[in-house]
Amino acid sequence: MSAEQIISMQQVRKSYKMGAEQLNVLKGIDFTVNKGEFTAILGPSGSGKSTLMNIIGCMDTLDSGSYSLNGIPIHNTKERELTKIRNHEIGFIFQNYHLIPTYTVIQNIIMPLLMRGQDRRSAEKDCGEIIEMLGLSERIHHKPSELSGGQRQRVAIARALCSNPSLLLADEPTGALDQNSGTEVLKLFKKLHEMGNTIVMITHDLNVAQWAERTVRIVDGEMFEETA
Amino acid sequence: MRFSEILNLVKLNLIQNKFKVLLTSIGIIVGAATIVSVIAIGKGGKADVADQFRNLNAGALDISYEQSQKSSGSPFGSGSSGSSKESGRPSFSSGSFTPPSGGGMPDLSSMKSGGSQSGGKGGSFPAGFGGFSFGDTNVKNKERITLTTDDMDDITASVPGLSDATISYTTKQNIYGGNIEESESYTIAGTLSNYADLSNLSMLFGDYLTDEDNENKNKVCVIGYTAAKKIFGSVEDAYDSIVYIDDRPYTVGGVLDEQGSVEAGISADEAIFIPYATGIKYLTGSDISPTITVIAEDVNNISTVTENVRNALAVSYPNAEFTISDAGSKMEAANKSNKTLTLMLAAMASIVFIIGGIGIMNVLFVSVKERTQEIGILKAIGGSRKDILIEFMMEACCISLIGGIIGIALSFGVSPVISGFNIRMEMSMAGALTALGFSVATGTVFGFYPAWKASRLVPVEALSSE
Repeated sequence: MSAEQIISMQQVRKSYKMGAEQLNVLKGIDFTVNKGEFTAILGPSGSGKSTLMNIIGCMDTLDSGSYSLNGIPIHNTKERELTKIRNHEIGFIFQNYHLIPTYTVIQNIIMPLLMRGQDRRSAEKDCGEIIEMLGLSERIHHKPSELSGGQRQRVAIARALCSNPSLLLADEPTGALDQNSGTEVLKLFKKLHEMGNTIVMITHDLNVAQWAERTVRIVDGEMFEETA
Repeated sequence: MRFSEILNLVKLNLIQNKFKVLLTSIGIIVGAATIVSVIAIGKGGKADVADQFRNLNAGALDISYEQSQKSSGSPFGSGSSGSSKESGRPSFSSGSFTPPSGGGMPDLSSMKSGGSQSGGKGGSFPAGFGGFSFGDTNVKNKERITLTTDDMDDITASVPGLSDATISYTTKQNIYGGNIEESESYTIAGTLSNYADLSNLSMLFGDYLTDEDNENKNKVCVIGYTAAKKIFGSVEDAYDSIVYIDDRPYTVGGVLDEQGSVEAGISADEAIFIPYATGIKYLTGSDISPTITVIAEDVNNISTVTENVRNALAVSYPNAEFTISDAGSKMEAANKSNKTLTLMLAAMASIVFIIGGIGIMNVLFVSVKERTQEIGILKAIGGSRKDILIEFMMEACCISLIGGIIGIALSFGVSPVISGFNIRMEMSMAGALTALGFSVATGTVFGFYPAWKASRLVPVEALSSE
């Protein structure tokens, strides 16, 4: 395994039981992502991309195969450790933002830092630069319900960034946004990539996938590298 | 995650859901209010018992006699002279029978079988009348017996382990004087000088009755606090005034301090106390039913003393059954019934708490369901099971703590209303703290399961929940 590899998957398989039937969702995925890459995983619904994202994000287990994240063998790791890995290694950006509605912008953003034991004041200080960079300084005391879709997604990106993760994992980040807001978010991703962040973006939209430097297709549980 | 930050999140969630918190904590509010009230009522009841028995000595034994309502059925007829010593009760101390004065045959049931008996004035009894058995229980308490100071002296002389003894009686008499325009009926108690000490009566003005008052049959009295206020308008005015009892003037030599209501003995606040012999001379004659009160030196020895008193009385009155009641048993019985009441109320409070706890559990389950996605988000960004568990547990604890505080405040607010129904409540900090402890414990116990369920949610499933 190369030291540059953030994600290294070999023959990852995952299946679910659907009544009496066994549904093979991932059929031996081999997938690597190098540090600093901006990769898009493109696939139609039902192709297994969400399952793959859950496994990459350490939120689901694999049936067989191996998966290492930043050199940590995830397939052998217990839930307690996975929680720490999620906190330290991964920054999640979800399609529906997944912000906590009762918390303010700043409370949502600093949450990953609080989870790792930091106090509120130092967490707010650590996130200050990112909040400014994303243009959220004026909005930090607002509730998510008081923001536009684009602003909410920027809050989600800020939350993902402030824990300084090895990987930014975005699931349909523009799926709930209008075109302009979606483009803004993708521009932001581009910028983050240029700043050296490793990004894996899952999407069903080819136009969105084109913003990535590399695209892999997933079809019916199998992965194919897209060639330019 | 730092505990302070968890608390901060808890605070945030509770503030966001103020109304829900209030509704959730209703069970706890009622439970806490009940607990505080139960403890207050229990303490009040205990204090009531203590107050009501404070004029009784724990080692006190009251000895009284009640004549059977049945006709005597004596083959010789009933002696109208009575059988009291003062009215000619037979004395057996020297082994000789002294028949009662006043004529007529003595009631046969008062006679001892056997013994040398000589006739006396007013009715003779043949010598050597022994061997005649009247021991049938059917004839018990048929004779008229009036306990006397001599009986008291007999008891103190023959029963070991007694520290003191007194005798008293009560009668209802019309009195006037002071502010009373028309005569009113009051309880008059004929007592000896040691009655005040034995009954723990304290004086507000003046002194209690003396031995001299009794010996000289002085027309002096000591008035109870309430009676003094009713008759004279104030306790100050009562002292050294004149009150007319059965049209005879009595000087008020003292006024008692307020004693409160009593469960046993004479209700001192409402009574007028006169010397024992004065009452017999001027008010009642021998038509009284006195009570002898003896004090056992050792309260643990009450049953032996009771038996000895019974035996001592049996010497003088073989066919009489005396009622002997000890204050300790009365207190114990009252305390026991109070304890039972408290336990019953405590059981009620426990049920309320359980219902309140189930309410909390239900609401938390709903809350976990509502916040499943939020839990999923927290888990996705690194929230551990422990953090989630603590957060939900703390929410349950805080809801019950808030409920407990409101409940305690409510109970303090409602206590004057309850007291208005003549239920004594002794509100205490200990009661409040106990209620608070129970509230938090209920929240913790019933909040645990929903919190545990929340902590075990699988992040990916929680995130995808609607």
